[in-house]
Amino acid sequence: MSLYLAIETATGVGSVAVGEPGAAASEIVFGDRRHAAALLPAIGETLRLAAMDYTDLAGIVVADGPGSFTGLRIGFATAKGILRCHDTLVLRTAPSLLAAAWSTRAFVRGPVAALYDALRGEVFAAVYDVVGDSVRTLVEPLCCSVSELIRRCSTPPAIAVGDGALASAEEVQRWTGRPPIGPPAGAPRASALIELLAVGNGTQPIEDPERFEPVYGRPAAAQARWEQEHGRALPHSGSGRR
Amino acid sequence: MIDVVLGIETSCDETSAAVLVRDGPRPELASLVILSQDIHTVFGGVVPELASRAHLTAIGPVVDQALKQAGIPLDAVDAIAVTAGPGLVGSLLVGVCYAKALAAAGDKALIGVHHLEAHIFAPTIEHPDLEPPFVALIVSGGHTLLLDVPQWGRYRVLGETRDDAAGEAFDKVASMLELGYPGGPPIEHLATQGSDRFDLPRPMLGQGFDFSFSGLKTAVLHTVRGGVDLDADKADIAASFQAAVFDVLTGKTRAAVEQTGYGTVVLGGGVACSRALAMHMARHLTGLARVTVAQPRLNADNAAMIARAGWFHLDQGERSDLYLEADARMPWPGLERQPRLSSSRPRS
Repeated sequence: MSLYLAIETATGVGSVAVGEPGAAASEIVFGDRRHAAALLPAIGETLRLAAMDYTDLAGIVVADGPGSFTGLRIGFATAKGILRCHDTLVLRTAPSLLAAAWSTRAFVRGPVAALYDALRGEVFAAVYDVVGDSVRTLVEPLCCSVSELIRRCSTPPAIAVGDGALASAEEVQRWTGRPPIGPPAGAPRASALIELLAVGNGTQPIEDPERFEPVYGRPAAAQARWEQEHGRALPHSGSGRR
Repeated sequence: MIDVVLGIETSCDETSAAVLVRDGPRPELASLVILSQDIHTVFGGVVPELASRAHLTAIGPVVDQALKQAGIPLDAVDAIAVTAGPGLVGSLLVGVCYAKALAAAGDKALIGVHHLEAHIFAPTIEHPDLEPPFVALIVSGGHTLLLDVPQWGRYRVLGETRDDAAGEAFDKVASMLELGYPGGPPIEHLATQGSDRFDLPRPMLGQGFDFSFSGLKTAVLHTVRGGVDLDADKADIAASFQAAVFDVLTGKTRAAVEQTGYGTVVLGGGVACSRALAMHMARHLTGLARVTVAQPRLNADNAAMIARAGWFHLDQGERSDLYLEADARMPWPGLERQPRLSSSRPRS
């Protein structure tokens, strides 16, 4: 068996799941942005429901950004702590947007756009298509307006999901021809991460988990202002992943 | 029995880890690693989002280094002590989530620690015989707090700042004098080259135990804008400002000693890294009280003091559960704001 723990904390609804690639054995969902308090107890309970403990795991798959900055750090700080205790575990990631898009696979064929509300009139968005046993990324995760996303996507997707899609429902429906699906149905789930482990290009391995930094999707506001004023990258600003 | 505690501190812009090991009845410091984030100097203050991001990439290597320096494997750690607040919530969250994961996945005890209480424990790492009762003065970028400490775990507020913290005033005055961030060290250095010749106020001195540094900061601003030659007068302004702050801090601490009758003063917090403050305090309390202050790396934000405060609470049988949250305004367990002390307390 190669059992994985999945952690999804990139949006307002968090979840954890345990299972073998392709099939979650147990899952717990928690909301109200109580991720920091709920995550570790939920992991413990999810393992217990699956009759497993940390020593049974082969790895951890964590939802990467873009998404909630704080949510991403809660997920990855927790994963790093677990990995430090069990150093044979591997770490894999998948974009949270892909996990959200995955939620429609049972009833929609064709490309799916996932949009998270990024505030300031922008969304974190990506467009994916599952062809056979593999994920194709049609639009890489980016931060832009809904209008800009539509301009970048040459072929309209079959449907759009996520709170960002719901916030611009009329514009999105004109684009896809269908009403968008918001949370909870159109939200990312940890069980989707478990399923994506069995899909080609669904997840990526992380070589150096300790120094891993999630994709935040946009720089800190102070950093963006500084870089605009100075016309260059902020010195010592980490790995540069945004 | 708790024999090894790993401390983790991420409340602001330092990522720190430390290991304490049992040496007889007392803990001994086995290692301390502090990684300061230099990126904030560009902004003249801490940018919370950048601090949080830096903690996430630093925490693993910093903990590894602390364990390596101590020569202790993670398996041998009995408990994790982590700063749960107060502080920047995004920064705190990284440490708390990492610590909870270590505790859960490594089957270790967990204790969330109040950052300011830890500052009071810091001197005990070097001075294990230090015991209450004493007067404690916590001075940092975020706090100025004068406390009566009758016993470990009990703290009575005598006074606190009504506006700017002392360290905050240092940072703002340093900015006025174009000395960079943080402001304490360059002002202390420059003050050695100047004299206290500008007549700056000593706010609220002789008026109870509360502090106020906003007016002093404004007085410096008026001085700077009042036609001085900043290049020529900068050292004298720094010396005058520092003297005013130190006079207030020392005067109120002395009054607290006289009221409580205690024979010991504990200085803690980032501003207490100033040797000039410790010397000023000791000079003005000669014959009245002994001033105890930790070395600078134990006074700045660091994980050794977190581990030491956590050790105390673990020894009391306290444990945090896995629902522990980071709390930017964490209430201080054991802190009492009333009743005020009477002045008839006998000297210890």
